[in-house]
Amino acid sequence: MKTFNKTYISGVICLMFAGWIIWQTGTIGERLVSNEPGPRLFPYISAIGIIVCSVLSMIFDGRKETAKRQYLTKDGWKRLGIMFAELIVFAIGIHLIGFLLTAIIMMMVLIMTLKEDKKIRLLFAISLSVGLSAIVYFSFTKVFVIPLPTGMLW
Amino acid sequence: MLTTYISSLMTVLQPLNLFMLFVCSMIGVVLGAIPGLSGGLGISLILPMTFALSADLSFCMLLGMYVGGISGSFIAAVLVGIPGSGASIATCYDGYPMTQKGKAAKALSIGITGSFLGTLVSVIVATLLSGAIADVALMLGPWEYFSLCFMAISLVVGLSRGSVYKGLLAAFMGVWLATVGADPVTNSMRFTFGNYNLFGGVPVVCMLLGTFALQMVATSYARGNMDMPEVNAGSLKGFGLTLRDFIVNAKTIIVSFLIGLWIGFLPGMGSGISNMVAYGQAKKMSKNPDEFGSGAEAGVWASEVANNASVGGAVIPLISLGIPGDGTCVLLLSAMTIHGLQPGPLFITQNTHLAYLILAAILVSAVLVFAAEILCKRWFPYLLKAPYHYLFSGILMVCFVGAFSSTTSMFSIYTMLFFGIIGVIMDIAEIPMSPLMLAYILGGNLETYFRRGVSYARGDMTSFFTRPVSCMFLLIGIYSLLSPLVKYLIRKYKTNPEKVV
Repeated sequence: MKTFNKTYISGVICLMFAGWIIWQTGTIGERLVSNEPGPRLFPYISAIGIIVCSVLSMIFDGRKETAKRQYLTKDGWKRLGIMFAELIVFAIGIHLIGFLLTAIIMMMVLIMTLKEDKKIRLLFAISLSVGLSAIVYFSFTKVFVIPLPTGMLW
Repeated sequence: MLTTYISSLMTVLQPLNLFMLFVCSMIGVVLGAIPGLSGGLGISLILPMTFALSADLSFCMLLGMYVGGISGSFIAAVLVGIPGSGASIATCYDGYPMTQKGKAAKALSIGITGSFLGTLVSVIVATLLSGAIADVALMLGPWEYFSLCFMAISLVVGLSRGSVYKGLLAAFMGVWLATVGADPVTNSMRFTFGNYNLFGGVPVVCMLLGTFALQMVATSYARGNMDMPEVNAGSLKGFGLTLRDFIVNAKTIIVSFLIGLWIGFLPGMGSGISNMVAYGQAKKMSKNPDEFGSGAEAGVWASEVANNASVGGAVIPLISLGIPGDGTCVLLLSAMTIHGLQPGPLFITQNTHLAYLILAAILVSAVLVFAAEILCKRWFPYLLKAPYHYLFSGILMVCFVGAFSSTTSMFSIYTMLFFGIIGVIMDIAEIPMSPLMLAYILGGNLETYFRRGVSYARGDMTSFFTRPVSCMFLLIGIYSLLSPLVKYLIRKYKTNPEKVV
């Protein structure tokens, strides 16, 4: 697998990010109070700091970076993608069908994803998904009196 | 002071507080014992649950998780040679060889007792010192507080793994993140894009859950390292320690305690560093240094006493100055702000009861953890057999609930996912997360004190250097940032003096 210089790539991304901060900071309204540096100072300091550190990191760390061990294997990247895709789908699910139903499905899907080749007792996994989701839901809504989403489709 | 302390201790001993302290301490031990998980993760998971609870009960829960998490980290280090967290890296060096030699019971007893002694004595010291330090801190002005915050961030950057430039880069990102929302002085909106969810700043709980929990679960699954080696525990019955063991190792215990307490006290440095330093010192002091690494009892004592002594040490600046002593204290500091408390030198004066409750809760938690660990020692190997697919699924579900309940808005869940992805990207780029988190938590104070200091000095920015205490903090911070470069130049000069100008 072809490896890239992570320091150079992250350095360039940080430089672009710092440029965006500087551009956005210019749009912040200045309400000057006497002898006061104003609300733009710290965003500017952060942006300049990010630029300086990115450049120094690219100069000193980028040169040292050799073809070290890769962060993840091809299969690992696939798993990472699957994990985040599932989490995003769950977030949308909570928004649409509410927390309780999504949590039960989410627990079940996550157990099936994370177990990989291991054998599990399906009945236990289902009971755990339903039981834990219900306990968390009722603890929050009834004991802590914190409302959880009920879903916009119902 | 004594009356207030006893009153706070009685509050901790109230049935509900004591029960939740015990439950959270035990969960902390379990999380600390399982490699990859930690008490810090537990704190970020239960933090949203405490929103609706009283501050007394909330801090009992959070501190139980803190003490249990650090104490439990030696279990995997001793039984399978993998540290439960960074706090017990040095415990592996001699704890696991002891297990391989059939002395697992004794190694575990040293871990349990060392953890207990470290926490107990350090929290007593913290109780005696915090008030006095806060009294001194009350004499300081915004210049000194700015410099103190700067020093804390610099120390963390200087000690972060890998490149100091990347550590500093992370700190600047944290400072920028702290500027999102309403400006503290003029109330101008910054980087909110008209989104009212950002008016109060980036939700701290979502950031913690995303960068701590989500990132950890996702990368562990992607790497596929979710299996534990078989435990070779032998017989775990009996206490295994005699009075002679304490006498023989007394010097190691005392020196390691002082190292742990001091390192814990320094802003940003905690048990992750103290156990290594104490181990190195114990090896230097030993008459038989060659035994270290092959099952020396003094090695386990040193590591475990030091990492737990850092608990008390780290709490001193947290309570008296509003500066976190270690990474987990960053979470406790955010818990204080979430509960509407103002961390800083006035904290003890304005919240005397709660300040002493924090110290009393740590003390009681240490006793509960000690008793439970001694009684349940023989079942420790089962902790390491916890199936990760059930554990991680539960953690992720709690993350979603926690993120939502922090603001009761879907925006928080999306923010958590965003920070989960950012956490993975930073891990890939080897940019450390702890300077970002600390700079984000202290960034608001850093800016407010700086602007207040400049305003009070009528626009004169040199006042930060002309005031002696402020100047001292700034110089320590600058030295911490420049020391890797200075050391590099000295090393280069020693190897080739002609090339260095």
